[in-house]
Amino acid sequence: MSESGSLAQGVNCPVPHSTYDRVQLGHGSGGKMSAALVRERFLPLFANDTLAQLGDAAVVDVAANRLAVSTDTFVVQPLEFPGGNIGSLAVHGTLNDVAMMGARPRYLSAGFVLEEGLPIDLLDRIVEAMASAANEAGVPIIAGDTKVVERGKADGVFINTTGIGEMDPGFAPAPERARAGDAVIVSGPIGRHGIAIMAVREGLEFEVEIESDSANLCPLVESLRERVGGAVHVLRDPTRGGMASALNEIAAAAGVGVVLEEERLPIPGPVLAACELLGFDPLYVANEGILVAFVEAARAEDAVAALQMHPVGEGAAVVGRVVDDHPGIVALKTRIGGKRVVDMLPGDQLPRIC
Amino acid sequence: MCLGIPGRIVEIDRDGGLPMGIVDFGGVKREVCLAYLADEVAVGDYAIVHVGFAISKVDEEEAKRTFEVLKEMSELDELEWMKEVAEKSLGPEQADAS
Amino acid sequence: MKYLSEYRDGKIARGLADEIRRAATQRWVLMEVCGGQTHTIVKQGIDELVGEAVEMIHGPGCPVCVTPLEQIDRAMALASRPDVIFSSFGDMLRVPGSECDLFQIRARGGDVRVVYSPLDALELARRHPEKQIVFFAVGFETTAPANAMAVWRAKELGIENFSVLVSHVTVPPAMVALLEAPDNRVQGFLAAGHVCTVMGWTEYEPLARQYHVPIVVTGFEPLDLLEGILMAVRQLEQGRSEVENQYVRSVKREGNRPAQELVQKVFQLVDRQWRGIGTIPASGLGLRPEFADFDAEIRFGLEGITAEEPAECRAGEVLRGMLKPNECAAFGTLCTPERPLGAPMVSSEGACAAYFNYGRFRQATRSEA
Repeated sequence: MSESGSLAQGVNCPVPHSTYDRVQLGHGSGGKMSAALVRERFLPLFANDTLAQLGDAAVVDVAANRLAVSTDTFVVQPLEFPGGNIGSLAVHGTLNDVAMMGARPRYLSAGFVLEEGLPIDLLDRIVEAMASAANEAGVPIIAGDTKVVERGKADGVFINTTGIGEMDPGFAPAPERARAGDAVIVSGPIGRHGIAIMAVREGLEFEVEIESDSANLCPLVESLRERVGGAVHVLRDPTRGGMASALNEIAAAAGVGVVLEEERLPIPGPVLAACELLGFDPLYVANEGILVAFVEAARAEDAVAALQMHPVGEGAAVVGRVVDDHPGIVALKTRIGGKRVVDMLPGDQLPRIC
Repeated sequence: MCLGIPGRIVEIDRDGGLPMGIVDFGGVKREVCLAYLADEVAVGDYAIVHVGFAISKVDEEEAKRTFEVLKEMSELDELEWMKEVAEKSLGPEQADAS
Repeated sequence: MKYLSEYRDGKIARGLADEIRRAATQRWVLMEVCGGQTHTIVKQGIDELVGEAVEMIHGPGCPVCVTPLEQIDRAMALASRPDVIFSSFGDMLRVPGSECDLFQIRARGGDVRVVYSPLDALELARRHPEKQIVFFAVGFETTAPANAMAVWRAKELGIENFSVLVSHVTVPPAMVALLEAPDNRVQGFLAAGHVCTVMGWTEYEPLARQYHVPIVVTGFEPLDLLEGILMAVRQLEQGRSEVENQYVRSVKREGNRPAQELVQKVFQLVDRQWRGIGTIPASGLGLRPEFADFDAEIRFGLEGITAEEPAECRAGEVLRGMLKPNECAAFGTLCTPERPLGAPMVSSEGACAAYFNYGRFRQATRSEA
């Protein structure tokens, strides 16, 4: 058995070789097997003093008076996909939700529901990805929980992460702050995550050179905070439901209209092709590594430049503007000069033949 | 009835029960049944694909020819429009001169 | 994407729209038959662009919309069976039956799967020998060759746990029914480019002659539709009524012969009910007796299932172009994509859904103007 330690310590993987190759019900019982699972599979990778105490609760200090708290549960299938796995998604997703409030993420917690029979090496890959994502962001996972359910009751693994961040009084984007004239900016190409997932779902198998864009958006938010500050009125990460849903929510909350320009939307070729094949609209496809920002018109160029400073923000562009007309409605100016509404969908998009 | 997408045939396999191929739709590749275009197509050809079946080979010559006609028409219109704008601001004789 | 993206060029589109306005000396009434064409027209605002010169009426070319209520109910019955994996194109999942839709059946435990191709459904049958795989074979003539091949291969390979629930319809009889209607206003047609890719256009020649209507075989991209409209308008202005082909990159007069041949071997012409329109003789395809073994209606004894349409739903009038979706009293009130009364509000090809999802903006701006 090797000593525990973080990945930063060296090339040798500190995670001990397991004596069992699959998760068993006993691992969730709270007894010796549970303790062994936590000690062997989670602690070495999530390595931090707070977690290592394994108290009933983690006790931490915070600098701010106001905190942003976000929780999300991840149930993605398949568990592993081009560009990431449920673990990296679970960390990025919650970090991003906290960051969209303008807050600086400080701590994460992670709760797992494991299905009996889950291969241990798959669990290891998931946990490694979480640790890697958390380390990269400098945000430790300080509390956790593990339960095991019978075979057939959990699709492999469900992960809940909760994030706590410190609010910044000088930088607090919120939908209500949207103003007519604001530029609508997107930080990168749209539609990658949803298509990457679709491509590996059974029944729709196709080969596509697209990876999920799952990424930590905090560096982008820092860039905006530093360079443009309060001119950023709204921040949102367009996850499920895509750009369309995110923009509709903001438009409704703020009572403003939004006009997008079809020609300006950055859509990678393969995403467009996959959408054509399935009959999807890229505006409704999920993203996990881009943000939408509503920025005072005068500072739009600076905001785009600030985003482009990072690899994750390379494709940043202005894609539309906020208007006084049609409050609560998002409209699109088409390539050929027409105009149409971009509404919320009742449910998921469905591949069509017609 | 409708969703037929053009793609380029990048592989053909005539050895199985049904002639199948791999079609590249601008970065997305999928297996496609070529039974209805069997001997007509070769790697590099474009086909229209509906629900996993190639239903026609794209006639690239025709496509090019008719597209040129469309482009020309829109360019002529642009010249017309420029002339109209010039006439409005300068007056017809001066517009002709410019 | 080559042979797709170029047909979305904004400049050429505006040029075509100008040409259409110049060519028309009066306002003409045209119908695009195919739901996919309706989708592009409303989504891109093409009807707005040419509105001065042309009124576009949306035709019944949405196979999902016209699938009779009984077939939908039969699909529900099949999907509810524990021994069945029910597979279908995505469009069908949210279509309302008499009581519920396939999504709700799935929530109750039915195994309902979306596939991209009928061959995927056949593959499911191979992978799950312990289950019965039923495929919902819906579509116009474009999809018939694919569905025919799935049944043909099932027979060839002896895949006995595979069957199809058929709801195939054909275009020309529907056009005749429209043209014969005393209140018909349609003066010219844009025929469905992919239906004609398979079938060719010979069936439309007698229609053009007999009813004196220009028929232009048209593609699906904005430039295709605009060019098709221009060709139809020019014919009308010149008093011609011929079949012309706009979609030259895909359609030939004789169509795809091998595809037609296999469809003939597997299917035969039958009378079919069109939801909202009624029975149109010889307007559908059913399995030939040699393939009766693969007919899910027979295998599972579903003939007894019948159904009645909700009274408020005026889908039939919309599908015949007699009513615009936003003229229906239930539009946007009783009938929305979340709680649809009829298929055209649910299917992505349906005129009602297209109006609701894309067209509402125009109503909003009109009322502000």
